[in-house]
Amino acid sequence: MAVVSTRSGRLGNRIAIAVVIVVTLIFLSPIYWITTTAFKPLVQATSVPPSVLFEPQITPFVKLFTKRAQLTAPVAPEVYEAAPWWERLVLDGGERLARDGKGEVVFSAYPDRFINSLIVAITSTILAVSMGTITAYGFSRFRVKGEADLLFFILSTRMLPPIVVAIPMFLMYRAVGLNDTHVGLIILYTAFNVSFAVWLMKGFMDEIPKEYEEAALVDGYTRMQAFFKIVLPEAATGIAATAVFCFITAWNEYAFALILTNRRAQTAPPFIPSQVGTGLQDWTVIAAGTVLFLIPVAIFTFLLRNHLLRGMSFGAIRK
Amino acid sequence: MRTATKGMLAGLGLMLASSTSVLAQELTILWAEWDPANYLQELVNDYQAETGVTVTVETVPWPDFQTKAFTEFNAQGSAYDLVVGDSQWLGAGSTGGHYVDLTEFVKTHNLTTKMAPATMQFYSEYPGGSGTYWSVPLEGDAVGWAYRKDWFEDPTEMANFKAKYGYDLGVPKDLKQLVDIAEFFHRPAENRYGAAVYTQVPGDAITMGAETFIFSYGGSLGDYANYKVTGLLNSKESAEGLEDYKKLYTYGPPGWGNAFFAEVNTAIAQGQVAMGMNFFAFFPSLLNEATNPQAANMGFFANPPGPRGDDFAALGGQGISLVSYSQNKDEAMKFLEWLVKDETQKKWAELGGYTAAAAILESDEFQNATPYNKAFFETMFKVRDFWALPEYAELLDEGQQGFYDYVVNGNGTAQEALDKLAATWVESLKAAGYPAE
Amino acid sequence: MMTTLSPTSRAATRGWSDITIRNLFVIPTVAFLIIFNVFPLLYSLGFSFTDFRASSKDAANFVGLQNYADILADPVIWRSFATTLWYVIVSVSGQFVVGFGLALLLNRPIPGKGLLTTLLLLPMMLSPVVVGLFWKLIYDPSWGILNYALGLGKTAWLTDANLALYAVAITDIWMWSPFVMLLSLAGLSAVPKHLYEAASIDRASKLYTFFRVTLPLVAPILLIAVIFRTMEAFKTFDIAFVMTGQPQAELISSRLYKMAFAQWQTGPASALAYIVLIMVLCITNIYVKYLNKAKER
Repeated sequence: MAVVSTRSGRLGNRIAIAVVIVVTLIFLSPIYWITTTAFKPLVQATSVPPSVLFEPQITPFVKLFTKRAQLTAPVAPEVYEAAPWWERLVLDGGERLARDGKGEVVFSAYPDRFINSLIVAITSTILAVSMGTITAYGFSRFRVKGEADLLFFILSTRMLPPIVVAIPMFLMYRAVGLNDTHVGLIILYTAFNVSFAVWLMKGFMDEIPKEYEEAALVDGYTRMQAFFKIVLPEAATGIAATAVFCFITAWNEYAFALILTNRRAQTAPPFIPSQVGTGLQDWTVIAAGTVLFLIPVAIFTFLLRNHLLRGMSFGAIRK
Repeated sequence: MRTATKGMLAGLGLMLASSTSVLAQELTILWAEWDPANYLQELVNDYQAETGVTVTVETVPWPDFQTKAFTEFNAQGSAYDLVVGDSQWLGAGSTGGHYVDLTEFVKTHNLTTKMAPATMQFYSEYPGGSGTYWSVPLEGDAVGWAYRKDWFEDPTEMANFKAKYGYDLGVPKDLKQLVDIAEFFHRPAENRYGAAVYTQVPGDAITMGAETFIFSYGGSLGDYANYKVTGLLNSKESAEGLEDYKKLYTYGPPGWGNAFFAEVNTAIAQGQVAMGMNFFAFFPSLLNEATNPQAANMGFFANPPGPRGDDFAALGGQGISLVSYSQNKDEAMKFLEWLVKDETQKKWAELGGYTAAAAILESDEFQNATPYNKAFFETMFKVRDFWALPEYAELLDEGQQGFYDYVVNGNGTAQEALDKLAATWVESLKAAGYPAE
Repeated sequence: MMTTLSPTSRAATRGWSDITIRNLFVIPTVAFLIIFNVFPLLYSLGFSFTDFRASSKDAANFVGLQNYADILADPVIWRSFATTLWYVIVSVSGQFVVGFGLALLLNRPIPGKGLLTTLLLLPMMLSPVVVGLFWKLIYDPSWGILNYALGLGKTAWLTDANLALYAVAITDIWMWSPFVMLLSLAGLSAVPKHLYEAASIDRASKLYTFFRVTLPLVAPILLIAVIFRTMEAFKTFDIAFVMTGQPQAELISSRLYKMAFAQWQTGPASALAYIVLIMVLCITNIYVKYLNKAKER
């Protein structure tokens, strides 16, 4: 808790740090396991007993970006010789690359899906956070009729099990032509996230002393100027935290991406877990897809880490 | 609307280079994500070269395949022109108006004689015996067995087995022998187990395994034509079959209550089990040295008959159907015409697809192509399927829960489990408007 | 709660009026949410009184409250509800204890705290389906690392009727404790230092300080974290569905999914969804009351 400078306090601090480090290591161990799986030969991903030590290889990543099929006969040596190094890795793994009519290697949908995910997650996060911020400001600073009920309504939009609205949502999207479009997913994820954003941002907005704006208004700012120049910078922490949460939700959404989109706008989550080949779950490719997919969101969070830690009290502490 | 959407995206500067051209003729086929879908994509390369029509095989993960397909169908969506649908979908696909009636097509191309009879019966005809057809059998499949030849042929094991059971260790001649062999090899202390069977609940795994035993022991899941369940599903033959299926579960690796095809193959590849039940479609990876260290030791056999000679196996596999809401029906029909040609089916088999074309199945060339093709050929003439009513999924869910409760959770006896399930099924069938009893 | 600026503020005379700004800020969001949700909600509500099957050509027949009555009389669904309730309690309290505990430990100057926090947040950045899949791999009695690393023999985590639910809850706790931790940490670091100083001058015991100073001040944010986690835990689907099929551990969302999608019983599934909605509404309402009370303190 508080920083105490007694000897026992210092010892307590050290113990606390040690515990935190141990817990962090425990929390990271499944992620370590996923990451190492991304570099394993397939047989070693499920070996009995589990393989802790193995010779790392990047074959899973090559497989992730290509379409493959099981080899049914040994590869002719001249074919193997002629193949580039990355194709050889796949051949060594017992698979051949699928080819199109012109004999060109067919790439998997992963890169396209990844880009779709970026487009959808970034745009919907920007929208949800912007809407959440201004709406929270509106609720925080002005008298709104039925404020408590409206806020509860906003919260309640997250309560219905999403599975059930999937069918009507699909019909609605089809009717207005939003199925299989980026815009459709962006709107959907914005709607998912905006309620969370309003609730979080309301806490932050309540925190920012209204005297700041009043002083600005007295100095001749308009209300809008005061909002943009005084309130928004003060709310940066809250905006960062909200953005992280919204981004994570949009980035990983699975069910609606599967149902509402097809090959044009589908995001990566429905692609990653389906790697069964001819009957062996290819854990290494799933792991490779997962690890690459984790990187953007991890970087995003890391960049905003200082904002996340700055402290937010959600209306708890009154002046 | 698409143009408007595109415009908006371009305006945002986020538009991806889209490869879709409005002018080129295009067909989209929906299937699940696995190797055969890749074979199909390769197969259509030739069609594209011949006709200039772009054919795309779009895939979704297996567990979501039904959800995705029927959400699209129910909303009368035209995203897919053709679907490679599960045999159990026939009822919902045909009565729901989602599939185009292909009876004329089947007659014109003599498919009833050209394809193995069982495949026409289970992948295409609905209702059973009506002579109305809804698909072209594409990927034939059924349950078979993989086993460890090296263990079976080990002289010490053979001697010990003979001493214990009084007959020679080898490919089981009936399912009772199969259970004996599983018991014999079940040695948990050596991390070696008897058999890996299907036990998973989401989906249809445990029912596929259990029904194979129920059918082969002379029982049944009910009379599909008259909706009679009581006395058939819970006959003493059915109960005996289910009991032996449970025995196999107990001779499986630890915690074997969540297993489907991938788990079975993993257990085999890791050298844990003497035998594994799986769909033939999943056997190729077992012969691959790179994915199965035991590849050189693998043998395969068709599901053996039960103790009274009843000889059946649970059906898997899919037929390709034309979606009613497709806007490219003529083009799709042309594609099907191409697909049923002998040379296309031959190429399909070469690529790794399990053709249903009888002539190919019967050829020595096919039967000797892999160690399991002969077993596949034998199996395709003794398959039986689950209920294919539009409401099959309710019966399936109740079956999954009922079988699991007895086999894995060990509640009650097989007879009790089947009595209970029979009552539940009758109730569900009645609720759906069938004269069930 | 209401912080209204005096209407005579001079800003009212320049630029947009406060009323305009309020309307501009609040109405679009509320309208968007209403428009977006109204059709799905009415669709589901309407069909919850019918025997409609989305997969069938047959027209929907009005059956009144029959679906609701059937569901409330179905022992399988009651079992799912009981399982779900217990799951929510185990999972959310686990997340609360681990998350808040971690936050208490982290609420001190620690070198590399930003990196440490980011690392701790990694689990919640993964897709739930992938989390379910890999934990299934980790839990496997034969080739999973968990039993092997901890020497637990052949514990069948996901298939044992008594363990499966806890195994899923452990995964959920692993995934979402960081969420509670982050929000708690934010609340804790906002507690003014002078309050602690005052307490230490009073020679108040640490426990007393914690319960009388810290906890009341961070209670509202903890409650927000718990509200969102409770709502999400009640709807848990992906993780559980991927990890185990054990009927004894079937959560209500899995049942709902099967009814709505595998079986296409659109009518009854809609009714069940509304029952779930009402339950979540009631539970959340209780929380929100507490939240408002906590804020007033």
